[in-house]
Amino acid sequence: MGLFDKLAGWLGLKKKEVHVLCLGLDNSGKTTIINRLKPSNAQVQDIVPTIGFSIENFKTSGLSFTVFDMSGQGRYRNLWEHYFKEGQAIIFVIDSSDKLRMVVAKEELDTLLNHPDIKHKRIPILFFANKMDIRDALSSVKVSQLLCLENIKDKAWYICASDAVKGEGLQEGVDWLQDQIKAMKT
Amino acid sequence: DPVANLYTFTSCVALSDLHGDGDNKLVLGDLGTGLYNMKLKVYRGTGLVCENALIDLPTGVVAFLMDTSEPRTPALAVASGPYIYIYKNMRPYFKFTLPVLPVNALEEEVWHQAKEDKIDPLTLKEMLESLRDKSEVALSVKSLRYLLLDPNEMEGYVSLYKMQPIKRQTIITCMATLKKNMADEDAVCCLVIGTESGDMYILDPEAFTVQAKMALPSVPVYLDVTGQYDVEFRITVACRNGNIYILRRESRRPRYCVELGSQPVGLVRVNKNMVVGCAQDTLHCYTQKGKKLWTVFLPAAITTMAGMDHAAKGFQAVMVAMANSQVHVYRDKHLVNIILAQDVVTSLCFGRYGREDGTLIMTTKGGGLLIKILKRTAVFEEKDMSPGPPLAQSIRLNIPKKTKLYVDQTLRERESAVAMHRTFQTDLYRLRLMATRAYARVLEANLAPFSSSLSEPLKMNAVVQGIGPCFKLTLNLQNTSANQPSINLLIS
Repeated sequence: MGLFDKLAGWLGLKKKEVHVLCLGLDNSGKTTIINRLKPSNAQVQDIVPTIGFSIENFKTSGLSFTVFDMSGQGRYRNLWEHYFKEGQAIIFVIDSSDKLRMVVAKEELDTLLNHPDIKHKRIPILFFANKMDIRDALSSVKVSQLLCLENIKDKAWYICASDAVKGEGLQEGVDWLQDQIKAMKT
Repeated sequence: DPVANLYTFTSCVALSDLHGDGDNKLVLGDLGTGLYNMKLKVYRGTGLVCENALIDLPTGVVAFLMDTSEPRTPALAVASGPYIYIYKNMRPYFKFTLPVLPVNALEEEVWHQAKEDKIDPLTLKEMLESLRDKSEVALSVKSLRYLLLDPNEMEGYVSLYKMQPIKRQTIITCMATLKKNMADEDAVCCLVIGTESGDMYILDPEAFTVQAKMALPSVPVYLDVTGQYDVEFRITVACRNGNIYILRRESRRPRYCVELGSQPVGLVRVNKNMVVGCAQDTLHCYTQKGKKLWTVFLPAAITTMAGMDHAAKGFQAVMVAMANSQVHVYRDKHLVNIILAQDVVTSLCFGRYGREDGTLIMTTKGGGLLIKILKRTAVFEEKDMSPGPPLAQSIRLNIPKKTKLYVDQTLRERESAVAMHRTFQTDLYRLRLMATRAYARVLEANLAPFSSSLSEPLKMNAVVQGIGPCFKLTLNLQNTSANQPSINLLIS
């Protein structure tokens, strides 16, 4: 199967490029998740809070992703909307152990979804309920309830629990995102 | 959280990065039920992290940096009674005791005599009483306690306590911090404390020695401190006698004094002005020199006040919690926001909590904990609150209408006015005559229920109560003179 995929990649000359926005509050684990998705030799050891934003690349079996890794600190959050136009998919990372700021995450998600650049585009959104390893973390069902994800009707979305330090759950989410993008293209 | 069981005040709430990991915690000095169960609680996120039992009621909780060593974990100072307990990493670290006050020399002499059994308890009591009445320096707790005792308990008390030295302690009423020599957020701070004896102490952050002492004419209850200790500072103190005093560097006595109409219930500094909440439901604003700028009248009594300082937005305001369970946010004198709480809010704190800058933490009278987060996109606009013409102006006056009957009547009056006047006057004469006759008849028969004669001014009335064959007859008799008793009267 892998061989067949690679063959298809070569036949298609090169992989399709997709622009993805990685959003979320500060300290939710966006940079760590993206770092985990990169090939093991390109991974960085220590991760520091992002300033402004950074551009990262990683490849999956069928697609090549260009990720805008945005800083989630309050003062940088108004930078997000400048990149909404380029985004073909969104990864929204939530710190599921931070019950207090779940309302802030919901607020940011609502402003994101109501933004004119996003509102009418049918782009897939992947939610990572991150930090599942922490003891008092909420389950992904609970997180989706608190964020009122069932109100999102016109976009394809998917939430998966993840632990970015160990890399658990990440592949599952990215596979879903890849399927969605492929389905959208065809 | 409506069942958090937190009973605290604004002075006992602090936000601080206790472990130096960028995650601010909430520290509350919980009063418990008032007599027992006093606890120091630390919240992180939505949950309680740890709690320490306190020995006495806390009067103030502040977090401050003691030294410049890394990592920058602030120490926590809890004032209760005459002591300040310093916690570091939530472990008891140091206990500071206030310096004792001078004792009256005569009092010391009297107790010295009692120690050598030269005087008996009763003369001791008399001497202490005479000391209390004339001396300027107040007596120690030991003597005051002795004065309260019954004579038969005195003997045992004297023999028990005569060996102990006399000391007079005072109690901390309020506590604040003052930056030592830098204005940074993570600069070393000095503690500023106000005591029941009307003194202000400034403590050194590391050695806990008194660096400066200032005297006030009254007991301080609310403190506000700006500036730096080594350069210039200003301490604004609201006192129990309803005055505000402003202390500065190099002055042992207050420089300016502002007299309020009533007791202050809160003191908040905004930029260079100070806002004072009064017990008369008013909010006054004064300049640093004590000039009054404005007054706002509030709809209910103030329960607590706190400042709101959002550095990223450059927004400074005053929050006022009121007895009608509302919290008003005032910028200058404009009301910019109203928060409705389910219960009366007793403590307010605004600042960085967790990783969120604009967090407002409130505790309610019923013990609940409310946390609100200011939206990133929030803007505070000054709505024009000055109302138009009052509502009463739009209500129509209640003037009765006139019908045809009235118009006909006026026509008749206009035609035969003379005859009407004459007839009415004759009737009036007759009425006066008959009234005088009847009055004379009543006086002769003594039928009037009151007499207004100067010698015996009396008023009497009779009430009959009950139905059936038995009645209860009550006679109310009252002397209506200013100062003349009536004696030897008989009811026949």
